[in-house]
Amino acid sequence: MNNNNLLKKGRRMGDLKYMILSVISVLTFLLIWQLLVIFGVLSTRTIAAPTQVLVTFFEKFYSTAPDGATIFTNIAVSLKVSLTGFFSAIIIGTPLGMLMGWYKPLDRFIRPLFEIIRPIPPIAWIPLTILWVGIGLGAKAMIIFFSAFVPCVINSYTGIKLTSQVHVSVAKTFGASNFKIFRTVGVPSSMPMAFAGIRIALGNSWGTLVAAELLAANAGLGYMIMMGRQFVRPDVIILGMLTIGILGFIFTWIFTKIENVVVRWRTL
Amino acid sequence: MKKTAAYDQKRRPIKKILNSLLPFVSITCLFLLWFYASNINPDLVPSPASTWERLIQLFVKPVNKMNLFGHVWASLQRVFIALACATVLGVTVGVMIGWSKTFKAIFGTLFELIRPIPPIAWLPIIIMWFGIGEFPKILIVFIGTFMPIVVNTYTGIRLVMPLHLDVARMFNASNRQLLFEVAIPSALPPIFAGIRNATSSGWMTVLAAEMIASKAGLGFLITRGMDYFDVPLILVGMLAIGIVGALLAIITEFIERLLCPWNKKLEQD
Repeated sequence: MNNNNLLKKGRRMGDLKYMILSVISVLTFLLIWQLLVIFGVLSTRTIAAPTQVLVTFFEKFYSTAPDGATIFTNIAVSLKVSLTGFFSAIIIGTPLGMLMGWYKPLDRFIRPLFEIIRPIPPIAWIPLTILWVGIGLGAKAMIIFFSAFVPCVINSYTGIKLTSQVHVSVAKTFGASNFKIFRTVGVPSSMPMAFAGIRIALGNSWGTLVAAELLAANAGLGYMIMMGRQFVRPDVIILGMLTIGILGFIFTWIFTKIENVVVRWRTL
Repeated sequence: MKKTAAYDQKRRPIKKILNSLLPFVSITCLFLLWFYASNINPDLVPSPASTWERLIQLFVKPVNKMNLFGHVWASLQRVFIALACATVLGVTVGVMIGWSKTFKAIFGTLFELIRPIPPIAWLPIIIMWFGIGEFPKILIVFIGTFMPIVVNTYTGIRLVMPLHLDVARMFNASNRQLLFEVAIPSALPPIFAGIRNATSSGWMTVLAAEMIASKAGLGFLITRGMDYFDVPLILVGMLAIGIVGALLAIITEFIERLLCPWNKKLEQD
């Protein structure tokens, strides 16, 4: 018992050592960056010191330069676009994948159309969408929809195909109708895979958002970094990149929490 | 009972034929819809015929001194160079942070901090640093391909069966042997999965890079179509993008089967 505790303690000490090491490494990175800028090795026209980025961050709370919106407005605009596309992809894509996986004729009918859309990266839709729909919320949401739709369909399709045949047979023996088996056996058993697909969709939609906003927008985080480039404000660019990264990270984190609650039974 | 069985047998072929016809029905529907839409607004939705004409014209009258194949090759070249660099560097970094806790503490954390930034978000600052030449584009594609390779290599190394390592240790394998003869071979399937992901992500990133600043490549082609309101050109470009993307996926899968045939796990798609 005592021995075990010691072992645990030793491991914790080891963990602590590595934690300190990683903190040191990040701090060193920031310090080198800061020093390089201070001593003029890197020009302030091409890169901003970490402290400068921090200052800009607080400035952007109320300042609208150079892109015409505060950082919160930009975040709100980006969130609205990406969540619209993302949720419509889940609402349409996931059930579609499940139905395709369960009902053969539907699969045969939709599969060819899906296979045509699938290999085209969502970014390639941008010019066509701009010409068709313009550069409003709808256009960007549509591009994000394409990026999130494909993994939603593929994964829920695969998930329902992997339904254990034994479970289906049991349900059949008890006289369940095909639709009832689909609803009570197929759908729950495909949930872990469907969620894995939604997780991919989440990452895709956030990545595509930036592309959509770089090419066609008048507000949003992607637009902010694009304006940062035009006005030669590296601090704004880096701030935008960090905001995008941190928000993406928070999304994934929240999603993992939801996933753990919804598919508690998953063994994957 | 007998009757229903006979009935079933009689009905099944019809059902089968119907089932096998369905894909053609859906494709026909798509074409009909396309014709219908192009009849209503031929400017926004060009008919299949005019798209085909545009494709032919692209060979007769090249855009920016390059026909379709030239643009395809320009894009592919960028992806290949970036992918080669990313594979070499990414696998090395992934193995290092997967194998040594010290490396993980030093580089892993930094990597984790940078990773959530989508590759496309790097575009503006990279253009600012390196201009709009060939190198910045390859660099962006490199960022897009590097991340999945590192992540998968890392996961692959972490998931090596402890049992296999223990067996090797019992046979007195050195640390080096453990890494090169046990860990890396068993991590190959996830590494290849990473390269496959990287290829498709690289194909997407190259388009974004070309759409923002370029004079060649498929991404350039479709933005040119947008700027000149040349919708058939956009469609031709998108078709080419789709076809090349699909071919890339098939080729990487084939290479994967060739190089690690022991990987028989169920594919995700």
